[in-house]
Amino acid sequence: MDKCYLGVDIGSISTKGVIIDEKYNILSQNYIWTEASPISAVKELISTLSIPKGYKLSGIGTTGSARKLIGLMLGANVVKNEIICHAYGTLNYYPDCKTILEIGGQDSKIIIINNGIITDYAMNTLCAAGTGAFLSSQSKRIGVDINDFGSLALSSKNPVKIAARCTVFAESDLIHKAQLGYKKEDIVAGLCKSVVLNYLNNVGKGKKIKEPIVFQGGVSKNIGVVKYFNEILNTKVIVDDNSHLMGAIGAAILSSKESSDKEYNLNMNEINFETKGYECKGCSNNCEIVRIIKDGKLIDSFGNRCERGTIAK
Amino acid sequence: MKIGIPRSLYYYYFKDLWQYFFEYLNIEVIVSPETNKQIMDLGVKYSNDEMCLSMKNYIGHIAYLKDKCTHILIPRIDNYGLSNQTCTNFLSTYDIINNIFDINILNYNINLKNNETELKGFLNIGRKLGINKKYIKDAYIYARVKSSKIKKEKVLKNLKNLRSDKRKILLVGHPYNIYDKLIGEPIINMLKSLNIEIIYCDLFYTKNEYDRYSKGLYWKYNKENISSISKCIDRIDGIIFLSSFPCGPDSLVNELVIRKLDKPYINIIVDDVESSGGIETRIESFVDIVNEL
Amino acid sequence: MERVIAFPLMGNYYVPSSFLFSKISDCEILKPPPITSKTIELGSKNSPDFVCTPFKYTLGTYIECLEMGANTLIQMGGGCRYGYYFELQQKILSDLGYKFEYFNLVSMGHADLKNIYKIIKKINPKLNKIKSLYYFCLTIKMVKYMDKVEDYIRQNVAYEEEKGKLNQLFDSMLDDFNMVKTFIGLNRVYHKYKKLIESVKLNKPKNNIKIGIIGELYTLMEPFANNNLEHLLENYGVEIKRFTNVTYLLFEKGKKTKKYLKKLDNVKYKMGADAMDNIYYTKYLIENNYDGIIHIKSSFCTPEIGNMGIIGKMCEESDMPVLFISTDTNTSNVGFETRIEAFYDMIEMRKKNG
Repeated sequence: MDKCYLGVDIGSISTKGVIIDEKYNILSQNYIWTEASPISAVKELISTLSIPKGYKLSGIGTTGSARKLIGLMLGANVVKNEIICHAYGTLNYYPDCKTILEIGGQDSKIIIINNGIITDYAMNTLCAAGTGAFLSSQSKRIGVDINDFGSLALSSKNPVKIAARCTVFAESDLIHKAQLGYKKEDIVAGLCKSVVLNYLNNVGKGKKIKEPIVFQGGVSKNIGVVKYFNEILNTKVIVDDNSHLMGAIGAAILSSKESSDKEYNLNMNEINFETKGYECKGCSNNCEIVRIIKDGKLIDSFGNRCERGTIAK
Repeated sequence: MKIGIPRSLYYYYFKDLWQYFFEYLNIEVIVSPETNKQIMDLGVKYSNDEMCLSMKNYIGHIAYLKDKCTHILIPRIDNYGLSNQTCTNFLSTYDIINNIFDINILNYNINLKNNETELKGFLNIGRKLGINKKYIKDAYIYARVKSSKIKKEKVLKNLKNLRSDKRKILLVGHPYNIYDKLIGEPIINMLKSLNIEIIYCDLFYTKNEYDRYSKGLYWKYNKENISSISKCIDRIDGIIFLSSFPCGPDSLVNELVIRKLDKPYINIIVDDVESSGGIETRIESFVDIVNEL
Repeated sequence: MERVIAFPLMGNYYVPSSFLFSKISDCEILKPPPITSKTIELGSKNSPDFVCTPFKYTLGTYIECLEMGANTLIQMGGGCRYGYYFELQQKILSDLGYKFEYFNLVSMGHADLKNIYKIIKKINPKLNKIKSLYYFCLTIKMVKYMDKVEDYIRQNVAYEEEKGKLNQLFDSMLDDFNMVKTFIGLNRVYHKYKKLIESVKLNKPKNNIKIGIIGELYTLMEPFANNNLEHLLENYGVEIKRFTNVTYLLFEKGKKTKKYLKKLDNVKYKMGADAMDNIYYTKYLIENNYDGIIHIKSSFCTPEIGNMGIIGKMCEESDMPVLFISTDTNTSNVGFETRIEAFYDMIEMRKKNG
């Protein structure tokens, strides 16, 4: 039996999963919307992934904002943050890559790589301005389907300047521009451009962006944003067909590095898994603790700011 | 020798003083042009993303000047005495700029707590430029007298405007925002086209008349702004507060004053000069309110 | 009416401040409830949007204390906007309908002893000058001891054999501090715990990861405001160096900043609040071979925004990893942890690969 590995990347907007073999070839993959419920999203995702005949699952890695929770749920052997996973995933396909630009649902980041080692990184310091969530809420506001966003932007000849440093400003500005009667495509193009400018001025500030540059995360599927990255950086950024999967692939690769002979299974339906949030009254810190209950048994809790919270198990 | 003067920040407090000072010394001066898109873009490029719009503006003007002169004049103002401080940006501009650009900075420091006066600052400049003390002193006095005269004329005009029959709106904000081509000027033009008489907060002689609104205020420039309100509150019809995002002192002081105000006002905060998100509409409706009084 | 005093929370400094007020007045001292999401919600709702975060935190605490019966509020102050908080907070609270007296101890970054004495005299008219001076000095000593011990703990807590031992000892030291009456008593307690704390068994690897944390003072010192940064780092096994504490701010800063300025060749002036100090710390951390620097501040903190470019440049030139974090009232724990974890992972990777 050959070994294979599962990587799951649970973001705020979408949940991605891959199964890879020992040579890191993708055997199975899928992505679905998280819709604010990581547990059911992962259950659904796993049910669509299949382990090919002749393989056994030898490791599970989780990443993304709900990595801890899902890691516990799946019994993962590796739970790692998105930055490391994205870097590992990307380096597998582009070993020479020097810069990774990533814009996801709520976070955006830049990772600088030198000889295959992360030497520097940064994430958005302020709010969600300029991330995927921001783009999709603005697209709703102007009545454009998020999937048509990129192609609509490409048809614009005169992108409108939109203030995008702060969501509050951006929204009022957008409404204003729409009322002034600007063309939809120009507004959409303006938004795409402002996402890029905002990213380079905030996340990318002071970072040495060297080629080859790989652009990924959900927003990398937006050809409008890609266009302005190319235009402003005066280069051609690489967008892989699997760009949205890089985090999951990285998590799977990491789990392969730490794997043992243990065999994992993916039979999720029989497991009853739930989380309960409550305010810890153990000390007077009132932490919000998430308790994770598997088959009626409490298996872990987190969210506590002090040691006392762990006793609350 | 050619001294570059950025048309931003300090410029709006000292422009006449500087102009006449260098004129007397017969030193060539280049003032950066009115803020334009190129300058603003340069500012955004070189500054830290979280800096206030006015700082970015200043950095843009310096970026514009850096290859066009031998020195760039960048003062540092720490305080005008114990409870006359400036925003911390005025304390740090010199070092911030010095670490961004490789330029020759002509710098003087004002710190009255430490007895470093403006005159001493100008003498310092003279030393750096190799000009004798007596000559600098003469130039400084000449420039002081000349610039005071100009200010006096402007103040008188401002006071005269207070007697105008038109609706009068007091524009409260830092001069570097009010008079900037892209930040304040569009608002001034809008008001003028709506037949409003604008009263400028920096064109008064005030003597700490801010305590009607704030007793513990310790920023010199905010004191001046707020004192102007006390000076003319009974003779104006409304107030426009203009700030750049996210101005530290204004965020507190304007909020406090607004809470104590019994006149119509609007609070305008500008973050991005190219996309001012409906400021026009807000000004228009504000003027409507003022007109209906 | 009996006076009930309350002041905002910042780290463990509640202990010495309540000690001082309990000694020099006979007023009741209200221990503010711990900062929770509710505190922050209350604070943000009533604050102007673009004010820095400590304003919102302390305002929220005041509202909670007033609800609990406090009628005398004490605010400290600092060298930046912090010094001006009090006047607006006072107005906001009275607009909300609360009745109270409000005192600001430090204005414009100056701890003017005469002024503080005047304020305390107002709170307690029967105040004895000598007695109050005595307890003032005793409290200062207490703060100094506290900061010293905390400094040691920060450097070692990640490596203790028996988890939680150091903090447990520290907590009981604070409890005992509350009981002291004299310098002799204070010294006795301090030395007792110093010995105990230093004898806690440690497993410190030779090549451990050392991170310096710098930035804006309130966010550095109040764990709730920095998402428990120090605790997170401890869990990764990191030795922490933090320079900013009350001892430094109130008693050492005045002298040290001049020294720092002399040692910096890329900065000529003080840059407001602790901006220049943090540049010096950066230099120190680089020269002392630390593995990384975390610069943390509340959003809109003007002085710290000013030094970021300079610190970034210094770190780039010396290949020092640096992480800049801006916290706001809605900074999520998850996003925060991701940044710290990734920073740690990056440092670890760099270390492994030479």
